[in-house]
Amino acid sequence: MTATANTKVVEILGAEPMPEEQSQLQIVTRRFMRHRLAVFSLAMIVGIFLVAIFVKQLTPILPSDIEVNNPYAAPFSVSAATGLKHWLGTDQLGRDYWTRILYAARVSLTVAVTCTLASSIIGIIVGAVAGYYGGAIDALLSRFLEFLLTIPQLPLLLILSAILLQSPDILPIPRVVIKVMGSIMLIPDSQAFQAVVIISVLVAFGWLTVAQLMRGMVLSLREQQFVEASRAMGANDAYIIFRHMVPNSMAPIIVSASLALGGFIILEAALSFLGFGIQDPTPTWGNMLAATQSYMFEHPWLPLIPGTPIFICSLAFNFVGDGLRDALDPRLKL
Amino acid sequence: MSTYLIRRVIQMIVVLFFSSMASYALLNLAPGGPLTGLRQQTDPRKRITAEDVARIRAYFELDLYLPFRYSRWLIGQPTGPLTIGGQQYFSSLIVGCRQPIEKTFELPNGKFETRTTGCQQYVTLKSLIGRRSSRGILLGDFGNSWGILRDRPVSTVLLSRLPSTLKLMVTSSLLALLIGIPIGIYSAVRQYSAFDYTFTTAAFVGSSMPTFFFGIIMILIFAVGFKGLGWFYLPPGNAMSVRDYAIPGLGTVQAKSVLDQFLHWIMPAAVLTMFGVASWSRFIRSSMLEVMRQDYVRTARAKGLLERVVILRHALRNALIPFVTIVVFELPGIFGGAIITETIFNWPGMGRLYFDALGRNDYPVAMAFLIIVAVLTVIATLLRDILYTVADPRIRLS
Repeated sequence: MTATANTKVVEILGAEPMPEEQSQLQIVTRRFMRHRLAVFSLAMIVGIFLVAIFVKQLTPILPSDIEVNNPYAAPFSVSAATGLKHWLGTDQLGRDYWTRILYAARVSLTVAVTCTLASSIIGIIVGAVAGYYGGAIDALLSRFLEFLLTIPQLPLLLILSAILLQSPDILPIPRVVIKVMGSIMLIPDSQAFQAVVIISVLVAFGWLTVAQLMRGMVLSLREQQFVEASRAMGANDAYIIFRHMVPNSMAPIIVSASLALGGFIILEAALSFLGFGIQDPTPTWGNMLAATQSYMFEHPWLPLIPGTPIFICSLAFNFVGDGLRDALDPRLKL
Repeated sequence: MSTYLIRRVIQMIVVLFFSSMASYALLNLAPGGPLTGLRQQTDPRKRITAEDVARIRAYFELDLYLPFRYSRWLIGQPTGPLTIGGQQYFSSLIVGCRQPIEKTFELPNGKFETRTTGCQQYVTLKSLIGRRSSRGILLGDFGNSWGILRDRPVSTVLLSRLPSTLKLMVTSSLLALLIGIPIGIYSAVRQYSAFDYTFTTAAFVGSSMPTFFFGIIMILIFAVGFKGLGWFYLPPGNAMSVRDYAIPGLGTVQAKSVLDQFLHWIMPAAVLTMFGVASWSRFIRSSMLEVMRQDYVRTARAKGLLERVVILRHALRNALIPFVTIVVFELPGIFGGAIITETIFNWPGMGRLYFDALGRNDYPVAMAFLIIVAVLTVIATLLRDILYTVADPRIRLS
């Protein structure tokens, strides 16, 4: 019944008006809005995404423009060669910091979003299949999931990226993928390969959490009566999994995805900081931070320039994830 | 319960077996091994002959087939034909190829590719006698390092870094637990107070902070900033200094003294402790909150027990059950968990050793590190299962 028909009936019968119907999206949004910190963080994330999308409009300089005569220029100084203002100064090769931060935002955010999407898809499929069919496959998979999740992951990420970055032939990546990622991140194809390798390495361990979550949800949903009813009506397994189980499990997956976005930004920055991630000249917050380490003692404010965005992004995604968790299902224990 | 544990042990052995195969596969994929660059000499005087290549391949056991190579790496066998009562069996079993026949093809795109099409000299079990053999990974023989300490045993390298690792990780884990648990308990007991709100926000911010950024900020403040201002400062790297240095407020600090080591230890330990406190206290807090809502806590209070007894003896005990199962995973973390912090502070521990090994393509050291971490993880998981049954009688008796 629509609202107007409802009120008409009510007027005729003289009864109490029923409350307005609210879609689930409205309920969730209203609950989310109650967390002011989460809303503020969401606004900040949207702002960062907008900045990353409109980099070319925000700065006329390119991240690879070197001004050899102008290293470590002070912030707000004007370059003698090009007459352009360096808002945050220049690095050791005379490249503008402001530009590099913006382009690095684009790279880092693209890596994070791609990793989250890919690992969510893979994790959902594997987790749902494992949870639904059960048996020996499920037992084996859950043992391995548990093992891979409890082992410290950074050493494994480091060795995988060390091997894959040095021997490009091991992982066959289609040229199309490299071209597309390169054009999204605004970096040339030769460097886009590194980014795609890092994305693959991060996804290789990223899908585990989602798979574990999905498996748990499917295990509990499998016993519900609507599944039995579906089967009685002749639905096959794939239909039940993708049409019933996956949509009903989206709440913890969405929360996990928003937390994972922040986690991937930090992981990619950590890998690049240690030198096993995306390398110069592609700007990414991690390798910019590593580059400032050697010059930290003479110019102490340098590490703060690339480090602060990492911290802010991580904090913002964590706040949003927390807010989503409360909004989607307050009883959720993740 | 014992059948459950035996089943878990068997499953863990299977997991370890598969992980060792995965590690060995990684070791084989690793670039920069002993043969890199050997074939690329074009100067005729330095060019190596096929016999040299065969000899080097035999030295590094690359001429054996993969299953035999793997089992020699894992357990040190087979070292020769099976000898039972003086009789040798399977002497002529072919286990590898000493000199493969290599043909160079021209691909349609103009590049040349060398492919192995056969074998002109096979290796049999009999010829394995006399080769240098290791005792195998299972007995702790990880081979020789390729780069960090060239041709010295990997175990020597690892053991040399063990004391500093333990010094840093054990102390910071203990400190994190000692500080984190009381804070978590107090925050849970005084929920919605100012302390609780401040603390939860601080813990949230602390766990979102990347470790490398926090370490760098600490160095900026305590080493660079304080030193520039002429105040007491902390030396920013290594575990101890080489020369005596002066600190305002403390006078001259002797190199390698206990005070010197302590000053160097403060910053990395502070970084690790802070992260430990942030995560442990949040966990204890949520665990305690859940427990304190239970009916038995209300019963204990209704019985007239002191609040302190109710919290410490009844609530905390139950809150610690899931906590203990998480703390066990500090064990692999002690060994290999602080790569970034050790790299920033140049602390000579296992984490930085792994990072250096990867940088120099010293894969035996890296593999040894990974295998030890994997074994520790498996042991920690088993320990967790045992502790879970010990701590919670309901599981033990079900």
